[in-house]
Amino acid sequence: MSERRTSLYWRLIGSLSIALTLGSTMLAIAAYNYAQTAADDAYDRLLIGAARQIAETITADNGRLIVDVPLSALETLSISRSDRVYYRVTGPDGAAITGYDDLPMPPAVDRPSEAPAVSDARFKGSDIRTASVKRYVSEAGINGWVVTTVGQTREARNALSADLTWKAALLVIAMSLIALAGIMFTVRRALKPLLHVEAALIGRDPNNLTPLNVEAPAEIAELVDVINRFMQRLSDRFNVMQKYIADSAHQLRTPLTALAAQVELLANEPKPAAQKGYIARVRERTAELGRLTNQLLSHAMVIHRAQAVASDQVDLGAIVRQAVADAIPVSLGRDIAVRQEIAPEPVIIRGDAVSLREAIRNVVENAVHHGADEGLWVRVTRSGDGALAEIHDDGPGIPEADWQQARERFYRGRTSAIGSGLGLAIAADVAQSHNAEMSFERPTTGGFTVRFRFPALDARA
Amino acid sequence: MVLMPALAQARDAYHFPAPGGEQQSVAIEASVDISAMEPLIRDFQALEPTITVDFADSLTNDVFAAASAACDAEMTFADLFITSSSNHVVKLVNDGCALRYESNAVRSLPEWANWRNEAIGFSFEPAVIVYNKNLVPEADIPRSHGDLIELMRAKPEIYDGRIGTYDIDQSGIGFLFAFFDAEQSSTFGRLLEGLGRARAVLRCCTGEILTEIEQGRVLIGYNLLGSYAYGRMAAGAPIGIVLPSDYTLVLSRAAMIPARAADPEAGRMFLDYLISARGQRVAAEQSFFFAFDRPPPKDVVSAHGGEDTSFYRPITIGPSLLATLDRAKRERFLAEWDAAMGRG
Repeated sequence: MSERRTSLYWRLIGSLSIALTLGSTMLAIAAYNYAQTAADDAYDRLLIGAARQIAETITADNGRLIVDVPLSALETLSISRSDRVYYRVTGPDGAAITGYDDLPMPPAVDRPSEAPAVSDARFKGSDIRTASVKRYVSEAGINGWVVTTVGQTREARNALSADLTWKAALLVIAMSLIALAGIMFTVRRALKPLLHVEAALIGRDPNNLTPLNVEAPAEIAELVDVINRFMQRLSDRFNVMQKYIADSAHQLRTPLTALAAQVELLANEPKPAAQKGYIARVRERTAELGRLTNQLLSHAMVIHRAQAVASDQVDLGAIVRQAVADAIPVSLGRDIAVRQEIAPEPVIIRGDAVSLREAIRNVVENAVHHGADEGLWVRVTRSGDGALAEIHDDGPGIPEADWQQARERFYRGRTSAIGSGLGLAIAADVAQSHNAEMSFERPTTGGFTVRFRFPALDARA
Repeated sequence: MVLMPALAQARDAYHFPAPGGEQQSVAIEASVDISAMEPLIRDFQALEPTITVDFADSLTNDVFAAASAACDAEMTFADLFITSSSNHVVKLVNDGCALRYESNAVRSLPEWANWRNEAIGFSFEPAVIVYNKNLVPEADIPRSHGDLIELMRAKPEIYDGRIGTYDIDQSGIGFLFAFFDAEQSSTFGRLLEGLGRARAVLRCCTGEILTEIEQGRVLIGYNLLGSYAYGRMAAGAPIGIVLPSDYTLVLSRAAMIPARAADPEAGRMFLDYLISARGQRVAAEQSFFFAFDRPPPKDVVSAHGGEDTSFYRPITIGPSLLATLDRAKRERFLAEWDAAMGRG
């Protein structure tokens, strides 16, 4: 399996891996965003807590604001031990009371609300997070909001979010790897029936065309089914050919034996008058043998073309006209009137012109040799969407009891005339391969009719 | 910021030429006694003989003001900044004035002595009580803050005007110790009251008080730097040292590499040396006498004989030190202190 250019297995694994990688990446990004929010939430609480601790110490004394920044507030901020911390307290007039005078305050601090405001900012070359809490002071001479702002660099937050992200990513990666391993295992298992089919085919005798007997899940059963149908067709074809060869050999042997006997008699006959009689018979047998050979070859050709040649749009009228012309020289020996009723405009059907001509010619020849006393009618007409080709003669025709047999090879009827029984079999085969219907009829007015009914042009064969 | 001229006046510069021929030099601006630094600089040059060391010592506030001004002006200041006022280093780091110091050596430091790998504490300085061995009877030796308060209350006739401590208006270290005394203990108010009532002698520096204790004019010194006191004692001065058993504040001198150091690599090398095992050993033996993860020297009075050092309360180098520099808080604290000392 691995030596095939594109392996189903690796293709499946490849696309599933891509899906897993995309999924993992998206999860990792989501985890990163979540971790940042979580880290900010956690540290914002510390920040706000520290700001409150400072704000609580604000008092007014003789019109002066006093802030006693508690050590504990700074200790709260320095829990992480890695971040720089800043604070600033401003009075109602906006003047700094203590701390870093230029520490930026969150924009939301201007809102008339006591809710703490938090935002990102930049200070002294670093990204920081700031939080402000407001306290309304109303004491001797001082009325207004006192804003306490604290800030902290982002190092601990970033470390926490990186840590959370990394742990989440590890989980995602582990999960993906487990999923991939599971997928690899499952795909391998799922493809196993294919290997069974392969093994069954490889291990098979070339002459063994019986259906494969492999246990397979629904998806593979379809394939096995198709293989089996294909083998069935192959087997059928094979049988046809075998039978054909056997029949042909048998059919050739009889006239050859007869011919050999006549030649023997001729060789031992001293009288010239009698010799003439033998020579006439040898000629007859040779002609018969020639026709038989032609028909065998023609049949083989028809069988081959039925399966190998793509059908085309052809004019049935022209084909029949040509076929009759081919058959006529044979009938010259007898006085038979041939009447053709062929539609002047083309009668287009889908088919193989060569096979069709062969079929019509054989039926006409058959009528001339075995049927017609003195008249032969050939007619091509449209019939609804389809087309009809009829060959009628005024002879006794084939008895109804033999109609089925007449479609098979080497039917010769009760009249053992010169010629083989292949003609109607060829015609029947061609009709079948064209999805046409070949029927026989003995009209009440007498004679015998062979009728081909071809399907509509657009009815696909 | 008109401190630059003042800096120029109070700045003592020392030049240590590279013993093996100069290939590189390191400029250190500091507020540390040269006597404590010299053994370290010499030993550093023994390891790195091609580095010249330029060391300058100024007052803590002056050197801080100079470093701040240089940072604001985006000017080159020094390759290494060292001060005993670790809050100054914290403030500079918080303002983005320091370079990150990436070194494996930093892992050997306790967590409280390192902030962001930018503010690095390299020494261990307990705030001690020093007494004159000849003049203070054994029974009077205060072994805790409570003892000192009690002593001042009980024997004003002896100790009035003979207790010395930092003038925290002048001394950054004094301010830090007082500030954390206030944070640490609820008895700070009583202590302050006691010092005020006893008309404590206030001096700018540990050295001056130590001298007065040696000479007997002052009997007991409070919140003095353990390293200086031990240095004097080791040199034969008739003084004793107590690590208060209720709690002993510990300060770490702090260093940072300024953001615009001319040769940050040189600063990094010197800092590497300071916190290396060898640097720490030299400091413990010759400079500071106390060190991280070491019991106090045997001849120091301490609880549990120094075996269990849970009384140490290190001043964490971190953002909480910013509170000590808050203008409003500082003003109020100093006002309170001045009032207690009868200066207000």
